[in-house]
Amino acid sequence: MKAFFVLLITALLVSGIVAIGMGALAISPLEVISIVLHKIGISINVPFTTQQEQVLTIIRLPRVIMALLIGSTLATCGAAMQGLFRNPLADPALIGISSSASTATVLVIVMGSQLFAGFQTTLGQYSLNVATFCGALIASVLVYRFSQQQGKTNVGIMLLAGVAINAISGSLTSFITLSATDQQLRSVTFWMMGSLGGANWITVAGILPFCLCCVAIMPFFAKALNAFSLGESDAAYLGVRTERLKTAVMMLCALGVGACVSVSGIIGFVGLIVPHIIRMAIGPEYKKLFIGSAIGGAVLLILADLVSRTITPPIEIPIGIITAMVGGPFFLYLLWREKKKTFFL
Amino acid sequence: MLQLRNISYRVQDRTLLQDIGMTAAPGAVTAIMGSNGAGKSTLLKIISGEIKGFKGSIEWDGRPLKQWSGKELAKTRAVLRQQYNLQMPYSAYDVIAMGRYPHFRNKLTNQCKEVIEKVADYVGVQPFLRRNYLTLSGGEQQRVQLARVLSQVWDTPSDQRLILLDEPVSALDIQYQHQLLALVKALTSVNFTIIAVLHDLNLAMQYADDVLLLKKGNIVCFDNKEAALTAENIYHTFGVKAALHQAHDYPHSFITVCPVMKQYHNLAQAE
Repeated sequence: MKAFFVLLITALLVSGIVAIGMGALAISPLEVISIVLHKIGISINVPFTTQQEQVLTIIRLPRVIMALLIGSTLATCGAAMQGLFRNPLADPALIGISSSASTATVLVIVMGSQLFAGFQTTLGQYSLNVATFCGALIASVLVYRFSQQQGKTNVGIMLLAGVAINAISGSLTSFITLSATDQQLRSVTFWMMGSLGGANWITVAGILPFCLCCVAIMPFFAKALNAFSLGESDAAYLGVRTERLKTAVMMLCALGVGACVSVSGIIGFVGLIVPHIIRMAIGPEYKKLFIGSAIGGAVLLILADLVSRTITPPIEIPIGIITAMVGGPFFLYLLWREKKKTFFL
Repeated sequence: MLQLRNISYRVQDRTLLQDIGMTAAPGAVTAIMGSNGAGKSTLLKIISGEIKGFKGSIEWDGRPLKQWSGKELAKTRAVLRQQYNLQMPYSAYDVIAMGRYPHFRNKLTNQCKEVIEKVADYVGVQPFLRRNYLTLSGGEQQRVQLARVLSQVWDTPSDQRLILLDEPVSALDIQYQHQLLALVKALTSVNFTIIAVLHDLNLAMQYADDVLLLKKGNIVCFDNKEAALTAENIYHTFGVKAALHQAHDYPHSFITVCPVMKQYHNLAQAE
């Protein structure tokens, strides 16, 4: 157990340093460490150029931190959603929460540009976050209400409601983009690609409190979510205040997913894959699952982002494409397993 | 001691329960019986706190149930349902440990661990304590759930332990049915208060002490089992003719239900 967490943290550090180093301008891992240490006032005997330092602080580091934040938030929210639905197939993107949040984003970008001039400010980012939070919350409440049947989750309805919400949000998004100006269209398209390309310190600061809030508070609901997996009424018999639990988890998820979507567009399947792997490694206990998922999600997204920007230089492949390419088959595999267990539907 | 007085429950225009009163004493198994839709599960849900908007009063251990906080109740009242659909691969031990959740904040205390050991021993789930719950058979899973439910109230003062069983054996085969009910029955010797919704007349005769018969939300009879389970009451409650047989040296009579030949006969003719 401990070894697994040590492994995860090591993986996080290594992937972080490698990701910072790789790109059009190469920075070796030692140089990366040297620059970072130099920034906090310690100098070791590894030389680096000013250009390297600038690339690192202005371009690479915010981007890696952004990947870290988004990865850990999405994975944590995935695990929490699975706890809420008592089923390992729930994922924020799959059940329409992300796309609903993205509709909200587009709405704000297009309709709200007069109100908030430009989103490249932290305050503008916050206003976007509020909108995506609402969008995400509406979708989660809707799907949850639809899928609950006599205290159980009807997984079929959960997934189909997700399909419906994805379709509705998609069409709304397209509809809104029709009425956008060229300038707005550019920022919408840029953002919809699902890419971390826009990462800078302003956007990092814009989502940091929301992501942190979500990732840090979620583990406090771990015990209640364990009990919740027995069934809603059974959790209540064990003294869990289930209404409060459901509200809190949905709010936190909407907060986290909303913040992620507002800067990176829809990045699917992270919330599905990561908790599943962590669960296979250390079991379903939610406290460990949340912590493991947060670190694992960060690793996955840092690596996915690294691939997305280095595999076909100078073109960047949107990161959403990469996670979907890995996650889609993985989801099919999960469905296959569920089918064998005859639990499905 | 659990006392129900004048419990009535209506949903919109339908009366689901009308003026139900009963007393479940510590050290006794009280069976709630009746045909489908008679209100058995509704009554149990009222006792378990799942249904709130009912009329009448419930008193548990000398205090109105409403005055108990959720946390207090979790330490004194536990519920076993017919079937669980747990989807996550917890170990059997983890599941039983969930029963201890009201008793600790972050980590299982030594007291909790002791209780889990004792309960696991008592219920006989020791051999598969470390196994994945999802890989256990239905009977084993239900025993693990029983262990969880028992561990929840195991170390509570003796006559403050209320176990509610909602059709606990309906999904089990005959061997497990008797195994589970015998385990539950044995708890009465240490003053557990047990209320069970049962379907099988003979299981009730064998394991219950008192029986509450319900029909369409009304009480047919609440008495000790010999007095309650008479041919007349059974006919009135379930609409079937029953015969009670007393075997030599057997502690109680057993019940056979006569096939309703005449009606079938008429049906066959009608076709």
